[in-house]
Amino acid sequence: MSTCARDRALDLLQGTLDLLILQTLAFGRAHGHAIARSIERESEEVLRVGHGSLYPALQRLLKLKLIVAEDGVSENNRKARFYRLTAKGRAALNQEASKWQRFSRAMARIVRPLPQESR
Amino acid sequence: MLMRWSQRRKQLEEEIQAHIALETEENLLAGVPPEEARLAAQRKFGNALLALERSREIWDALWLERLLQDLRFALRSLRKSPGYTTSVVLTLALGLGSVATMLTIVDSVLLRPVAIPHPHQLVMLYIRTDQTGSRGELTGSEIQDLERDSRLFTAVAGYTMTMKPVRTSSGTGWALIGQVIPGFFRVLDVHAALGRLPGRKTAAPVAVVSHDFWQERLGSDPHAIGSLIHLDGQELTVTGVLPPGVSILSGTGGPVAYTPLSLPSQQNGPPPSSAFVIARIKHGVSVLQALAEARSILVHSDPQDAIANRDLVLQSYDSYLTGGLYKPLLALLGGVLILLLIAVANAANLQIAHSMERMAEMHGRSALGASFSRLLQQLLVESVVISLLGAALGCALAYGSAAIVRTSYGNQYARFRQIAMHPVVLAAIALLAFITGILASLGPAFSIRRRTRATAVTPRATSRTRVSGILVILQIALTCVLVAAAGLFARTFRALEQIPLGFNPHHVTDLVLWPIDSQESPVLIRQTYTRLLERFEALPGVESAAMQTSVPFSNAVLFLNCATDVGGRPFRRGDMPLYSFVSSNFVRASGIQLLQGRGFTAQDDTSPDIVALVNQAFVHKFLPVRDPLGVTLRVHRRHPHPASPGILPLAILQALEPEPYVPLKPSFRIVGVVQNELQGPDLGASFEPMIYLDYRQIPKDSAFLGTIGAMSQFVIRSRLPQGVLDDELRTILKQVAPDLAEMQLSPMKEEMAQALGEHTLALRLVSSFGAMALLLAAIGIYGMLAYTVTLRRREIGVRMALGSSRAGVIQLVLRQAGWTVAVGVIPGLAGAWAAGHAVQAFLFGVRPLDPVSLAGAVAVLSLAGAMAATLPAWRAARVDPMDVLRIE
Repeated sequence: MSTCARDRALDLLQGTLDLLILQTLAFGRAHGHAIARSIERESEEVLRVGHGSLYPALQRLLKLKLIVAEDGVSENNRKARFYRLTAKGRAALNQEASKWQRFSRAMARIVRPLPQESR
Repeated sequence: MLMRWSQRRKQLEEEIQAHIALETEENLLAGVPPEEARLAAQRKFGNALLALERSREIWDALWLERLLQDLRFALRSLRKSPGYTTSVVLTLALGLGSVATMLTIVDSVLLRPVAIPHPHQLVMLYIRTDQTGSRGELTGSEIQDLERDSRLFTAVAGYTMTMKPVRTSSGTGWALIGQVIPGFFRVLDVHAALGRLPGRKTAAPVAVVSHDFWQERLGSDPHAIGSLIHLDGQELTVTGVLPPGVSILSGTGGPVAYTPLSLPSQQNGPPPSSAFVIARIKHGVSVLQALAEARSILVHSDPQDAIANRDLVLQSYDSYLTGGLYKPLLALLGGVLILLLIAVANAANLQIAHSMERMAEMHGRSALGASFSRLLQQLLVESVVISLLGAALGCALAYGSAAIVRTSYGNQYARFRQIAMHPVVLAAIALLAFITGILASLGPAFSIRRRTRATAVTPRATSRTRVSGILVILQIALTCVLVAAAGLFARTFRALEQIPLGFNPHHVTDLVLWPIDSQESPVLIRQTYTRLLERFEALPGVESAAMQTSVPFSNAVLFLNCATDVGGRPFRRGDMPLYSFVSSNFVRASGIQLLQGRGFTAQDDTSPDIVALVNQAFVHKFLPVRDPLGVTLRVHRRHPHPASPGILPLAILQALEPEPYVPLKPSFRIVGVVQNELQGPDLGASFEPMIYLDYRQIPKDSAFLGTIGAMSQFVIRSRLPQGVLDDELRTILKQVAPDLAEMQLSPMKEEMAQALGEHTLALRLVSSFGAMALLLAAIGIYGMLAYTVTLRRREIGVRMALGSSRAGVIQLVLRQAGWTVAVGVIPGLAGAWAAGHAVQAFLFGVRPLDPVSLAGAVAVLSLAGAMAATLPAWRAARVDPMDVLRIE
């Protein structure tokens, strides 16, 4: 896939990816791979993002100080970096989550799939 | 900072690797075979490198690292293709180097500040007479009025200039003497480097000398203050030395001594009673305001004087110094920028061709995740690096060229001595190199953009050759402009060389003499002249010797205009023909053509009547319908305007002030008409009406005798070798005229060359631009044709296999070359016409739309195109159809 097309898809996903990460970390600390896995699992495989796009998002959240990173050991005894939410991150998560709820409820009210149309 | 970058990079890399490893393990656990497991994990991750870069981007300003990367890569790839690098660098060095040379000259000559504070406030005031446009002086009372009444001038000072022999401790030599009123130095607002500058009142005979004078004549003696110099029979004490770079009077450097001048305040006092004026305007006042005020002051100061006829003019000091150089230098700068454009077009073409070869690499990088902007950045960096290399080489070339210009022309044009490459020029060239690099890389950039966006990569040759074809056409058009301009200048030069001089300049030596003591009796001096002429003519090997007060091409000029009554014609203001005093054998010796009547004869010396010769221009102006022979002339009995010397570098200037009484009382009669003769060094000047008088006929009480005694020029016609002739002349001088000093002794050929000097320089410069442009254009055509042949090898092979002869193939190539040249020539001719109009002021004897020059340009370009096409055509003819078809 050419990088250009990928760019556009990524732009849409940036804000939502951040929210997904924050939500995942709400349940405790995790490393990159675990976060990716969790998103896939929880969304029942609907949301699949290239794992590579995870890391820029993580760095962005780090810069905004919504999460912090610490070194640790993963399940298979490998060195890994674990991320967890800060207080600021938790507040942001609540804010963004409620915004998202309102947004999706409004969208659901207006947008309905037409009966015989295949997407 | 770099440490942190690599730290962070390592960290992120490890993290990503750990992620992929985890995924791989999970895959293995799920039962995927080992090789597949890792691959699947990587695929799922996506572009690891891109992720790494994006992550790093959030924290670090990666642009710097990328720039360094690009730089290193650019240098490496340039080293890998030396042929390409060399050709682009040389092309750009040629273009940028020429621009650098011209910028250096323009910067040093026009833009650099003069060594006087606030030089833009300095102005020169003079009267523009309606005669020749030369400068008239203001009288002492007028200057005083200006000084007293003006509120917009901070200081006003009068000065006159002359050249005299000066004796110092190191010997006798010529120096420019500026006679200045004491307030002069206040106008300049400079401080003495040594000693003091005189204040308002100076009683004692003192002198202030220029820096060059102090170096050359006083041996840079730190105790020079108080020493004596001998000038004009007077002893003057040196009280001050000016700082270096202050050369006011004629803009030339060289030794100058400033002596006090006192102008009488009453009208018609003893000479000198008028002077040129230099003044300083108050800060914030415009030149026009100052001019208006000066005019109003002068109108009130002397209502009787013919102010209406005299036009007060204010000229800024800057334009006085740079004078006629402003326009020519700017025109040359324009020409050189055209050359740069041609060079850039060439470089762009070379870059396009080179980038085609690197298409595969570009595709690869694009597939690996590089965005178009990243590729563009790398291209730009490479292009700019090449440009900077070309600029460096060009600046080195310019440094050398500037030095050559300085040494060759430093004597002719004073400001040229100061030509030096200042950092400003280097900065400008660096900037130009940047712009050039960006421009030259646009072509490849667009083609890469198009190709990386395309989903299918098909070799499309047409678009490439279209862009490069346009570039070559542009080159041809610009070259046409420069070559046509060179043609115009060449024809101007020929026209100037062929001006009818009224004078046979071959085998002529010009000898200029001055009396060492200017107080000597002119009658005695005249007798000396006569003796000299006799002795000169008697020399074996000398065909003739004559005396004239003004000689063509000579730098020693004395213009003596005098109001004259022409018999039978009412006097009109502006009837001021030029007077020249000559020896009796003038007509024979000079080779001037006698159109009517006769020349001077020996009998005229003894007869009481004074006879005169006039030239054609005189007849045209004053006696268009009457027979000029026998007409009586007489000097007009009004206060004549002062003689207006032409101011020229190295010219001897003597403001001769005719007495208020008539300088020549008796009338004189026209006995002959001669053809027009060139006066002075200005080749393009129009012919003035002239009256020639025999110097021996001038009565003893006439003021004209003083003019004759002030300076004389002898023209000796002889085929002797120059060295022998010089020695003989000098021997005679020593014997017969020890009271006259030799000012100049040179063959007329040299003076002719000097007079043509400016035009020679212009012609050389424009021709060299044209030649360089031709070379670049030929290279451009060659490059385009060579590439076409390479591209169309298959086609050529097929053609030949199908029966086309080698001649047919050659024709193919030549046709393309011819078509390109033809298309390029059309805008080129239009541009040449426009350029011709732009430089119209410098042309002589040739129209801007000159068919010969234009046709010549087209012919030269066609020839260049044909020559450039030979190698590609030959290569095309050598294509073996079997080879080509085998490759298929």
